[in-house]
This record gives sequence, structure tokens and C-alpha cells, in this order.
Amino acid sequence: MLDETWQRLVQGACDAEPRALARLISRVESREAGWQQAMQALYPHTGRARILGITGSPGAGKSSLADRLAAGFVARGHRVGIIAVDPSSPFSGGALLGDRLRMRDAATSAAVFIRSMATRGSLGGLAQGTRDVARVLDAAGYDLVLIETVGVGQDEIEIVKAADVVMVVCVPGQGDGVQALKAGIMEIADLFVVNKADRDGADRVEADIRGMLALSGDDPDGLERVFQTSAVSGAGVDALIDALSTRAARVPLSADRALERSREEVLVLMEREIARRVRVRLEGDGRLEEAVRNIRCGRSDPYSAAESLLADLASFEGGAHE
Amino acid sequence: MASDRKVRVLVAKPGLDGHDRGARVIAYGLRDAGFEVIYTGLRQSPEQIAREAIQEDVDAVGLSILSGAHLALTAKVLELLRDQGAQDIPVLVGGLIPERDKDALRKLGVAGVFTAGTPIREVAEFIASRVEAA
Amino acid sequence: MQRTRDEIERAEEAWRREVVEPRVERFKIPECPIRFYTPASAGDFDFLEKVGFPGQYPFTAGNHAFEAWRAYAEAGAKLGVRPDYGASSAGRYSGYGTAEDYRDYLRAMQARGSRGGPNVAFDLVTQCGFDSDSPNALGEVGRVGVAIDSYRDFRVIYEAFTGERDIDKVASNFTINAPCAVILAMLAALAEERGIPLAKLRGTPQNDILKEFIARGTYIYPPRESMRLFRDTLVFCRRHLPGMNVNSIGGYHIREAGATRVQDLAFSMANGIAYLQEGVDAGLPIDDFAPKFTFNAFGGSMQVYHEIAFQRAARRMWARIVKERFGASDPHAMMVRQPAGAHIGCTSTTLQRPLNNIARSVIGGMACGMSGGMPAAYPPFDEPLGLGHSQESIQLQLDATRIMIYEAGISDVADPWAGSYFMESLTDEIEGAAQQELARIEGMGGAVGAIENGYMPRAVAQSAYERQKRVEAQEDLVVGVNCFTGENELELSLNRASEELYDPEHLRSAEERQRAKLALLKRERSEAAVSHSLRALERDAKDSDANVMPAIVECVKSEATLQEICDVLRGVFGEAEPVKL
Repeated sequence: MLDETWQRLVQGACDAEPRALARLISRVESREAGWQQAMQALYPHTGRARILGITGSPGAGKSSLADRLAAGFVARGHRVGIIAVDPSSPFSGGALLGDRLRMRDAATSAAVFIRSMATRGSLGGLAQGTRDVARVLDAAGYDLVLIETVGVGQDEIEIVKAADVVMVVCVPGQGDGVQALKAGIMEIADLFVVNKADRDGADRVEADIRGMLALSGDDPDGLERVFQTSAVSGAGVDALIDALSTRAARVPLSADRALERSREEVLVLMEREIARRVRVRLEGDGRLEEAVRNIRCGRSDPYSAAESLLADLASFEGGAHE
Repeated sequence: MASDRKVRVLVAKPGLDGHDRGARVIAYGLRDAGFEVIYTGLRQSPEQIAREAIQEDVDAVGLSILSGAHLALTAKVLELLRDQGAQDIPVLVGGLIPERDKDALRKLGVAGVFTAGTPIREVAEFIASRVEAA
Repeated sequence: MQRTRDEIERAEEAWRREVVEPRVERFKIPECPIRFYTPASAGDFDFLEKVGFPGQYPFTAGNHAFEAWRAYAEAGAKLGVRPDYGASSAGRYSGYGTAEDYRDYLRAMQARGSRGGPNVAFDLVTQCGFDSDSPNALGEVGRVGVAIDSYRDFRVIYEAFTGERDIDKVASNFTINAPCAVILAMLAALAEERGIPLAKLRGTPQNDILKEFIARGTYIYPPRESMRLFRDTLVFCRRHLPGMNVNSIGGYHIREAGATRVQDLAFSMANGIAYLQEGVDAGLPIDDFAPKFTFNAFGGSMQVYHEIAFQRAARRMWARIVKERFGASDPHAMMVRQPAGAHIGCTSTTLQRPLNNIARSVIGGMACGMSGGMPAAYPPFDEPLGLGHSQESIQLQLDATRIMIYEAGISDVADPWAGSYFMESLTDEIEGAAQQELARIEGMGGAVGAIENGYMPRAVAQSAYERQKRVEAQEDLVVGVNCFTGENELELSLNRASEELYDPEHLRSAEERQRAKLALLKRERSEAAVSHSLRALERDAKDSDANVMPAIVECVKSEATLQEICDVLRGVFGEAEPVKL
């Protein structure tokens, strides 16, 4: 059962009250005790939002493009949430979140809610965390959620996998061109956008992309997959929004893809929770430390230690949040 | 903090002043102190700052002003935060603030004034202590 | 008797073994704390190639055989002349409130003996291309400078400059960048109104938009479009205002924003090259326009030796670029023309124990005087207090400068460090490092490319952060700030009895009064004339081969406001994107 604070926040978020919404996002993101119950309470209010993932290399102009897209969608009557993800410093754990800087128009619109998120070094857990924040925005009535990340790491690719439509942004003049894109991106992307298209080389990048797509076969629905835009001037943005709207409207996904998504989500949530409970249990009763000591003085190895600790764990019950 | 919670700080330059050396240095410094810093750059209106502070659920707002417009701009930011029910977010002011204006700022409701030469560590500790107390 | 390099190096090795190491051991420190330079340090030193003579290429030793102020220094002392900081004939940098407030201030200064033209600081609203009734203007109107919303305001300033001080007799300086075209247009309109030939106007607009993206932040349009505007002002100046300088290229601001000395030099050169290229691309002969480029006070740290070397390196580097790369033959095209140099920079002053800033500024003055400039003790000690410069601080500044000139004889020798093994090797080192950095920037497409990709602004921010970390770690020591701050130290400060002549009541009411004036202007002017002139401007702005200056002059005369003009250009050029960290 949710305590009063959580209840107020959940209610406030569903009413799209900005402070409550923002605070709820913080608690969910930080996995504060009670967060799963809060998500359970929110879940019935979700399902309307379509999630667009925007990724690509640094300097491609993703944030500026996201700004334009948000403005365009708002003009078409949507309420837009933007989640801008940036890497945390592996050394200090802190982060410099500066994507909002480029989202001037979106930042002033009453129909847009922007939230900056750091990766927080939580491997694998980030995609779920972002998905959860997107759900909170969904419950608050934002029917379109843009998730913007830099596509240079596996994490970031995981994040956009949470999206219904994935857009990869390229830009002319980046040395290796399309080849530089992480291998995984080509497979997951629905759309490719050549931004800063006023620059020399835009057509060549488009040609490169089309060349690679030709090898993987046409879009099953026959939809256009490559676009040129200039976020600064706005050129091509309307056409892109049309394309995104068309694709978003085709979601819910095919039954298979939807099932796969939910399956994956449940597994991830379970795995994270199991890992958390195991850690709490083992750290609590000192057996982990003992195992580590044994390894250090040569009496055991990590593999045997893990096996025997698991065998000892009678069940995974308990481990309720402190 | 029991959870994964991080300290989040908004660093903003209100008004038209373009000297952002101090703001950038504090942004880098707070990041290296383990905070999540939402850096919004130049020419932020008080309205934008208040919105950002609320949407990002920050633990503190840092305003950097070197143009002399600190009293008017800070007053406006504080007013807007109050109007939107966020008066509990501490507002810190840094930059070129004459001694005689520091009291005026505190009377307006500013939590701390940190001028040139203040070590980053001091600012970080101040913010962290406010978070603990909250 | 001339020794070979080998002999000297062997002797040095022996010295290290026999004299230095035993001493280091005796004092039980890890290494020798000081350095010593020998003829071997300066490498292949060719005096004529590396230094030459003051007034001759490559100008390492100075721009002239002697500076203009030096010709009259002794006579000036006997007459008790007050040389305003900066040897140009524009007066002290000033500006506040409304144009009426500023005009009255200027008249008060004139009553006290000031003879120069206006050296105008504009408020941020003006600098960013807005009017005083814009929502962006909150708190800023008339604060860091005078508020100029229209030609009407501009004209009022010059009510203080008539007769003997008319604009053909005094120089005007404008610290204005993004809307420089508008201010220049106002000046041209004023001359026309007064029947003064444009060719007689003198002065310097700052007009250095590239550094705004890197260090100062008052940009409006994106970099490429801003360069188009620069081109138009350059061509207009050469054609119609031949007596005016074209720009004041700022290494100073870049350094103040945190750049290292090498970055300062490299980025300034890159920016200068970009501006020169605009002139060349516009079809102007290099010898025609390069002599009208100026630089804004290279300098900016307490490291005396390095700042002297830096000035020498800067002069040599620029001279080589203009001569070898751009093919100039007029020596004036190759000079780093700056009103002042090598001062310590305002960021070297401290808020703690501010009187120490006098000592600091004297060190800067020494560096300046020993590297081809007038040894000005700048800034006044109360700079960091944020209250303007008091009359006490200005008096101390002037006297310190005079002491260096007249008592210490600092300026009696040109380039006194020429030939010093240390100084020549240091000059080479700084120039070499700057060349490397410049090559990197050229690889990014020059200054504009290195701004568009964020490299220059981020590099400066990074250097600023590194400096802060060094100070906090006590690796860089600053007296009274991170060392010698114990309870036995006296926190000295001075009661500043006489304040600036900026009336605080005027400051408080400036925004209100300016808005009232704007409202009146909009009622009195012909809206038809305004929209006609703005539409013509829009047409010319859209044609990249056209020069927008004549159209801006018409706009200014029709009493379009500064923001109205800048907004037309915003519509055509777009606005600059903020730089991400």
C-alpha cells in the first residue's frame, strides 16, 4: 500500500501538476522505496503515449531537432514529454546535463515537459529506468514522449529499444560517415535523418544510408525511411513529423513485437529485483565478505564462491526495502 | 540517501550577461563533486529558470550574474518559484555581487551568495547540507 | 671570444653536477626551484630574422621606433597632462543610464579636463540587439552601459561633442559587436546631419563577433551570417569611413574567459585571419584594409616574463601571417595595433585585500612597458568590487603609470629583453605552441568552423576549469586568496570616499525613462517610413551579394529602433544556437 506522500505524488502526476510530476519522476528514477507500487498505481493510466527514440553521434543536432519536433507536434495538438539522456561521469558519478540548452522553444511551451536524465552508470537498468519515466509522463497526459540519447554506447542503444519508433540522426562531414554508427543501430532504427542538410555532403550521406538499407530490404509497410532536415532553419521537419506521426499511429506494434517487449520488461524488472535482494541478503549476513576473503587468500575462486552462495540461498523471499 | 538519489542542481545565467566562465567552472566542478548539473546556458528568463527548476526537481538553483542586474533578476526568479509552490528550492547567487547587495539578496530569500574566489568544494558542501536537512 | 654551443652545453652539464646538485641536496629538496638560461637555450638565434628593429618587420621589438605618446612624454609631465588610459584620443571607457544621463556625465568629465571623444560602453540590451521595452531588458537597461534604442538616443550623446570637440576632431570608440552595423550607421547619419564629411570621422568599433561566440556571449546571428555582416561593415568603412578603424580584435576577452596564453594567441590569430579573408573575398586589397584592423589589449596574467614574450610572439606571428600568407607590403598592415597591451586582466585582480591589486597592476604595467606599450597600471584596484572605479583608484592608477614612465624609465629602451636567452627562447616557445593550435583550428575550417563545432568555446571553458582546480589545490598560488590568509594577516581595504559620477538614481530609473522615450518615439515617427526602410533592409539582407549598410542607414534615419532593425536581420539570418558544454 502506498503511503500518503506517494499517493499525493501519483495523484498530482496524473493531474499533470508539474511539481508533483517532477518529484515522482525523481523517486522512480532513483528507485526510492515504494516505487514499484507507485508504478503499479500509475500503470492503468498509461498506454496512450507513443515513444520516439532519437539517437546519433554527438554534434548531429539531436537536441535542436528534438526541439523542432516538439514544437511541430504541439502545433498538431499533442502534449510532448522529452527525456534527454546524457552520460554520467564514471569517476565522480555526477553528470553535466546540457541538452535543454538547445531546446529553447520546447522549454517555453506549456504543452512540453522536459526532463534531463543521467545514465548513472547503471548498466542495463537504464533502459528500464527511462521506460519507467516515460510511463510517468504518459500517465500525466503527455501523449508523445521523445527520448534523446547519444548513440555511442550500448546503454544508449538499449534505451532507444524502449521506443516505439527509433530515429537515428546523422550529419554530413563526420569523417567515416554512416560506417561510424554503432553496428546495433542500423538494426533497430526505423528512420534515418540527415540533419544540417544545408551542408555539403548531405546527399552523399543519404545515398550511403539508402545503400545500407537496400541490403536489408524495404520497409514492410513501404514507408519512407530516410529524411533530410535542417533543425536550424526548420527545413524538412514537417515532412519528418508526418512520417513519425504515421508510424506512431501504427503502434500498438504487431502482436509479436508487443509480446516480446512485455516479456523482456518483466524479466528485466525481475532480474533487477532479484539481484537487489540477493545483494541485500548477502551483504547483510556477511557471507559475501567471507567468500571474498576466501578468494583473496587462495582458498576459493569466484566461480565456486558464486555457486555455493546461490545453493545456500533457500529462497528469495523477504528483502523488503529498508 | 537510501536510494540511488543524486543531488541535482540547476546552473543558469539569467538576463543578457554573456560572461559564463564562472557558471561553466561551477558546473564542471559540481559534476566532479558527484552532482547532476542541469546547465542551461545564457539568456535564461526568470520564467524559464523557474520552469526548469521545477521540471528537473532540482535540489538547488545557482544563478550567475555579472551585469549588475542581480537584484531585479533574482527577485523575479524567487517570486516565480514562490508562485509555483517551489519556494523550498534554495537559490544561490554567484558572480559580481557588491558587498552591500549581499544583505539585500539574503532579505529577498536567497540561501547563499558565493562570489569570486569561493572554492567549488564550499558550494558543493553548502548544497549537500541543505539536501541533508530537507 | 665566441664559444661553441658544445662548449657551453658541456660547461652547463658540469655546472649542474658540481654546483646545482650539491646545493639541491644540501637543502633537501627534490629539484632546483629556479631555472637559468644560456646561449644554447635560444637555439639558432638570428637577430634580424627573429627580432629585427622596432618599427620594421617582423615588428617583434615594437610597431614603431618609438610610440607617439613617448614623443611628448617629458613635455606632457611638465604640463601636468592626464594621459587617459589607452593612448587613443577617445576618452575613458564609460557609459550608463539613458543617453541624456551619459551626455551629462560626459559634460561633467569635460568640465574636469577630459578632452577625448566618447569611448562608449553600451548596455546589454543594446549589445544583444533588443530595445529597452523588450522582456529581455528586465534589470539590464542602462546598467553596464548606455541604453541606445534609436538614432534619437545616439544623437543625444553627441550633444556633448560639438564645436572644438565635434566628431571630425575627436575619436569615437564603440564597444559594440553584434549590432555594430547599426551603431556605425547612426554615426554616419549623424555626420550627414551635421554636414561633416564622413571621411573625417575617426574611432574604433569593437566589431569582433567571433570572440563573442568564444568568450563574451553577446552574439545574435549564427557565425557565418555574422561574418557576412562583418564584411558589409568592413566594405562600408573602407569606402565611406576611411578614417575609422574597422575592428578591435580581442584576445583580451578570450583570456579573461579562461583561455591559456597559447589559446589566446592562436584563437586571436584564427579570428584575425577569418576577418582578413572576408576583406580579401570582398575584393579589397590587403594593404588597403589590414592597416585598419586593431587588437584589443593582448595580455592577461601575472606572469611578467611570459606576458612580455607573448606580446613579442603576437607581433611577430601576425606580421608573418599578413605578409606571407596574405601578401601585404604596407608595414602598417602587418602591425598589431592595440591601444594597450600586457595588462594583467581584470581576472587577475582579487576581491580579497583589494589594495594588493595596485601591486598587481604595476607588474602588468612593467610587462607592458617592457614589451612595446605604455606602462599603464591597469586595472584600478577596486575593479573586482563591482562598484565602478573610484576617483582614488584612478588617481593611484595614473600615478603608478607616471612613476613607471618618469621615475623608473621603463620606456627609455625599446624591447629591452631582445637577445635575452631566456626571453627569446620563451618567445619562440609561445609562438610555436600557438602555431600548432592554429593549425588545428585551420583543420576544422578556421575560426568559424572551430566555433560551429564548439571547439574554441569548450577549450576555453575547460582551461578556466583547470585553472580553478589548480587554485583550489594550491598549485597556482594567489596571495590573500589561497595562501597567506591566516589570522595574522591584515585584511586591508580602503574607504573609498569619492564614488563614481554614475548617479545611482539615474540607474534606478533608467528603464522607466527609456521606455517612456520609446513610446514617444513610436508615436512621433512615421510608421510608413519605418516599414518602408525595414522592408528594403530585408531585401538587401536576403541578397548575399548586397551590402546591408546603406539600407541600415536609411532605417536609422527613419527612426526604426535598434531591435526593429536587428529583428529584420533575425528573420533573414536566424539566431545563433547556444554552445553546448
